[in-house]
Amino acid sequence: MLRYLGVEIRRTFRDRRFVFFTMAVPVVFYLLWANVFGKADGTVGGTGLNTRTYLMVSMASYGALGAALTTTGSRLAAERQSGWLRQLQITPLRPWAVITVKIIASMCLALPSVIVVGLAAVLTQHVHLSPAEWGGMIALMWLGTLPFAALGTLVGSLVGPDAAQPVTLICYFGLSILGGLWMPVQTLPATLRHVAHWLPSNRFAGLGWSVVGGHVPPASDGLVLAGWAIVLGALAIGAYRRATVRG
Amino acid sequence: MNAIAFTGVSKSYGPVRAVEGLDLTIDAGSTVALLGPNGAGKSTSIGMLLGLVRPSAGEIRVFGDSPDTAVKQGRVGAMLQDGTLVPGLTVREVVSFIRGLYPDPMPLEEILALAGLTDLAGRRADRLSGGQAQRVRFAIAIAGAPRLLVLDEPTAAMDVESRRSFWGSMREYAATGRTILFATHYLEEADENADRVIVVARGRVVADGTPNEIKAAVGTGTVRFTIGDQPTAGLDALPGVTGVEIRGSVAQLRTTSPDATVQALYATGLRVTDLEVRGADLEEAFLSLTHDN
Repeated sequence: MLRYLGVEIRRTFRDRRFVFFTMAVPVVFYLLWANVFGKADGTVGGTGLNTRTYLMVSMASYGALGAALTTTGSRLAAERQSGWLRQLQITPLRPWAVITVKIIASMCLALPSVIVVGLAAVLTQHVHLSPAEWGGMIALMWLGTLPFAALGTLVGSLVGPDAAQPVTLICYFGLSILGGLWMPVQTLPATLRHVAHWLPSNRFAGLGWSVVGGHVPPASDGLVLAGWAIVLGALAIGAYRRATVRG
Repeated sequence: MNAIAFTGVSKSYGPVRAVEGLDLTIDAGSTVALLGPNGAGKSTSIGMLLGLVRPSAGEIRVFGDSPDTAVKQGRVGAMLQDGTLVPGLTVREVVSFIRGLYPDPMPLEEILALAGLTDLAGRRADRLSGGQAQRVRFAIAIAGAPRLLVLDEPTAAMDVESRRSFWGSMREYAATGRTILFATHYLEEADENADRVIVVARGRVVADGTPNEIKAAVGTGTVRFTIGDQPTAGLDALPGVTGVEIRGSVAQLRTTSPDATVQALYATGLRVTDLEVRGADLEEAFLSLTHDN
């Protein structure tokens, strides 16, 4: 299983599109927004964070969410169609191991986004966090990608490779925008603000905002994310089984 | 012990019966061809043998266990029909990854050499030509040194030269005492590479024997000519002829020896025009076998 994990991670890093969209894009957006809005003093609505730090978490979340979704969704759909998954099915590697590795790999592949955006924040925007805060943020944001990895697996198991790409992108942008990763939730209309409150993407970034603000994240963030992870995970496993075992 | 045993195995997809009551056993150590036209049920049977398709009825045993168990224990390797290779890995990485999943695999260099991939080991597996990719897929199938190797129309995407070297590799692997089952719709491939040929058509076994027995049964060619309104009696007694068919003014003879048949045909004194001699039309031969049974 470890070998399979290594193979999955290695080949994803050779995919230039992956590296570009999950690392370069969040960093560029971070630098852009931080330079446009970061000059202003003061804090972002209610979080007590300055803009540069707030945006660091937003863009790290945006990149991590994207990495978790894209390394599962369209990729899984393509492997299902190409016969690669069937080839794995006739090796001693068990189907549950395949899907577990896929999910863990996509969580691991989300880490670099958090790290490069964090580095950009430290090097160019003079964001300061204690080692404990860095550690906490990275660890929580690693665990917090689980529901998105499960969502991507669900998409990849349900739809074909042609549809998987747009469906993944809709999930990606929908969750990012409504979750307040691009603009703070406070700027959204009231109805959408309520929706945002229950979205995993908002709670995911919330973990980061709490930690870098020096607080322990509220239990409700963890519970909402765990709830999404359990529901999406169960659906993903069901869909994956249906997609790979033929009647 | 039997490597493979099918007992009363059927598979239906809705109203379509892909496989109907298949009974067969294959000895360990033999090389067996599953020969039949497209749609005969070859791929469905192979899918069931590998645990990818669940039979609607009947039982399948692989080395005495269920297909799932045999696969889980690494006793089976297979080359399936479709399957592009996973992007982003070199030939060496793909083969070495698959090899590592098996309890008792072949040495990596030996696999690469046997599949003729030594010179391509550093290339990206998703950027190879069709024939080269098939070699990688063969390497993946044998990587775990499986006791049973299953190949579903392995030469479909290959040119003549690739085919020749592919069958060479396959025979080399077979020589190590492993059991091999391959599906094909070319009688020549079955004839040259198998100890035993099982002919399937419409989901049933219609013939089973050594390559020579099968060739005798299906005939190796057809002789066609315009007979007009001349008498047709006696055509079936010509040397080699196994079947006679008259369609309007055209007579078609199925024969195990086209040369002997043509020679004798001229000796009958019949006026033979528009003579045409062809190799075995397997599809037709298979269908006639199905009718006979």
